[in-house]
Amino acid sequence: MSYLSNTKFDVIIVGAGPAGSTAAYTLAKNGLRVVVLERGRTAGSKTLYGGRVYSKPLEEVYENFRKEAPIERWVKKERFSFMSNGELLTLEYSSTDSTSFTAYLSRLASWMAQKAEEAGAVIVTDIRVDDLYLEDGVVKGVRCGDEVLRSNVVVDAEGVNRLILERFGMVPKLEKRQVALGLKQVIRLDASKIEGRLGLAAGEGLAWLIVGEATGYLPGGSFLYTNSSTISLGLVVFLEEAYQNINQHVFNILEDLKQKQSIKEVIADGVVIEYGAHLTPEMGLGMSPKKMYGDGLLIVGDAAGLLLNLGYTIRGVDFAAYSGYLAAKTILKAHSMGSYNSESLSFYQKLLEESFIMKEMKKHKKITKLMRSNEMFTIYPGILLDTVKKLFEIEYSSPTILQALRNSIKGKTSLLKLLWNIFRTFF
Amino acid sequence: MKKMKVDEVLNTNIWDVDSKPHIVVDYEKCRRLCNKKACVYLCPAGCYTLTGGEILFSYEGCVECGTCRVICPHEAITWNYPLSGRGVQYRYG
Amino acid sequence: MPLNIIVCIKWVPNTQIVNIDPNTGTLIREGVPSIINPHDLNAVEMALRLKEKYGGVVTAVSMAPMSAKTGLEFVIGMGVDRAILVSDRVFAGADTLATSYTLSKVIEKLRPFDILIFGQETIDSSTAHIGAQTASWLRVPYLYYVVDVEYINGVVRATRRLEKKIEVYELPTPCLLAVAMKSNEPRPVKLSHKLRAKMENVIEVWTNNEVGLKRECIGLRGSPTVVEKCIVTPSVPRKKQRFDGQDVREAVKWLVDRLIEDEGLKII
Repeated sequence: MSYLSNTKFDVIIVGAGPAGSTAAYTLAKNGLRVVVLERGRTAGSKTLYGGRVYSKPLEEVYENFRKEAPIERWVKKERFSFMSNGELLTLEYSSTDSTSFTAYLSRLASWMAQKAEEAGAVIVTDIRVDDLYLEDGVVKGVRCGDEVLRSNVVVDAEGVNRLILERFGMVPKLEKRQVALGLKQVIRLDASKIEGRLGLAAGEGLAWLIVGEATGYLPGGSFLYTNSSTISLGLVVFLEEAYQNINQHVFNILEDLKQKQSIKEVIADGVVIEYGAHLTPEMGLGMSPKKMYGDGLLIVGDAAGLLLNLGYTIRGVDFAAYSGYLAAKTILKAHSMGSYNSESLSFYQKLLEESFIMKEMKKHKKITKLMRSNEMFTIYPGILLDTVKKLFEIEYSSPTILQALRNSIKGKTSLLKLLWNIFRTFF
Repeated sequence: MKKMKVDEVLNTNIWDVDSKPHIVVDYEKCRRLCNKKACVYLCPAGCYTLTGGEILFSYEGCVECGTCRVICPHEAITWNYPLSGRGVQYRYG
Repeated sequence: MPLNIIVCIKWVPNTQIVNIDPNTGTLIREGVPSIINPHDLNAVEMALRLKEKYGGVVTAVSMAPMSAKTGLEFVIGMGVDRAILVSDRVFAGADTLATSYTLSKVIEKLRPFDILIFGQETIDSSTAHIGAQTASWLRVPYLYYVVDVEYINGVVRATRRLEKKIEVYELPTPCLLAVAMKSNEPRPVKLSHKLRAKMENVIEVWTNNEVGLKRECIGLRGSPTVVEKCIVTPSVPRKKQRFDGQDVREAVKWLVDRLIEDEGLKII
């Protein structure tokens, strides 16, 4: 083992994703010596997500965020659809203002890393961290191969596959019930075609979530986001349920979706320019370690399980970045006190609890369980579409809504259960 | 757009594939212990295929998502990230 | 005597995703990220192994735009000691002649050197000219397709593998070797080296002020090559035969039979 000398950093950050780079940016701006170790060739070359970011928390951290960040389109139109037998039931919301935007995460992460670098952080790419390095049971740095780099504190921003934390024994091995699998294709398409086909004004963005047949009736959801001149099309399936029920290659579910008329006409003459997949934390706080800090250690972003899937939207990037920001604030305080033990770093947990992140995650605690009930994805889309079909496809006489609903439900579930579940999910 | 195969879509990515695999599969465990072989359906890059009823793994198209590591019920997979920034290179992510 | 080893590397567009414009026949480079020419990493690896075995200093030289700093940081990360980025607008647009001339003049400023190591060819143009031309400018012996090298009593002993034979040469120093592609496994980068690249400003940038070459010998003006025409080879129609069985041995046998029967393949 070789110990690197003359390079004592105050803080080592593992991973140059949104969480890691935001922590680095905040720390460097306040004069701490920070190094970010990133396993990819560039910051952002290993990140992947759906396509939309909520802006406010990032605007709080980065000055001039709206002007400088690599934003593709501001989301002005939201769609939520049930799909069954190729038919769609869609709820659409258009707004004049926007709180979220679409972006390429690789570019956003790279922009954040550049901000951190400009603030004075050192970003070292191509380096895989293998382990935390301990002295007397206290985290004092990291090990990369046969080399050890020391620091006062380590911020673990390694992402959802937290190999380092698992090796350290801080978290148990990741289980399939804790995560979902997301896959996505980026499809190049002229801006005018995107806007024309989706009814968007120039530069406006759309976020579209589809459940039911769009995921092959697996619990989860499909998504379509518009970028300037590409479309991000993909799906997320809960891994436990997919493991139990899948009967075809998961990639083919996405390819089947591309063949559904409603999607097919949107992406016509598009060209796929990238395909990727990533796991996402899905247990709410069930994936988070009880303590997100230790002696000389803080855990941020996906590694801390900080992601919220509400079914109709997913928040991950803003949670990750903001948790990095809170970790940096904690370290700045600990630095001024000259102590990095778990007691001083426990301030991070307090900041998290007080922040919108934990409030949001606690508020929506029940939704995950509900979203994973199979009815939501297998039976309900069919019932709803059948009901609507009965209402609108009138030949001679038309039913009342309740009659139509009762008829569609027959033999599948009870009306009471359906209404109760919808009530529980959304209120 | 025509229906595409997974290899075709993976070919749209930039790669810097290492000459050494970053994931190692213990085929003996797959053979002896596993009937379900869910990795064949769930690896989004199609790295796990069945040949004559047995698992064949190829790491070259791996997108480093970690699904196989999480779903394998028999701990047959030794999983790590590639070194030196090799593997998939996302431009959009 | 420690060896002074110089490796030349090229910063090239990643041809994996470069498409050819069907009208002009040229590469569409727009939006394509650049990488170190992969075959040059074999040259770096060979240089580092020589250094480990016999002692010495490895210097990497690249003539490229400033963005190539990332590539030089990578090879420093592998263990290269010194890196020179030859970067100036006046060098742009160079063909192999102007490039090799410029490189040779840079290398002359690094005398005394012992072994120059180049990759076999580049993935963006595949000429394999630069090694030979640079050796000519410098008037040093040149050997290509090298797979292994030793340094014994002041003599370079290089092995090269040809299709049907292996040849071993002894060359005096200084000499220039072009490494056969994929002949070794480039090592992963190390944290200590990469930190040095990031924190100690090791990359020297040389403009033409440092090199001092006449404008008519460099860049576009120093390049006599004229590309008259590019022909895009039409894609060959596939026969679309498919083996649908499961057994690997049967599949191989089926494939070999098809090649023999349908394509006239002979097995010697």
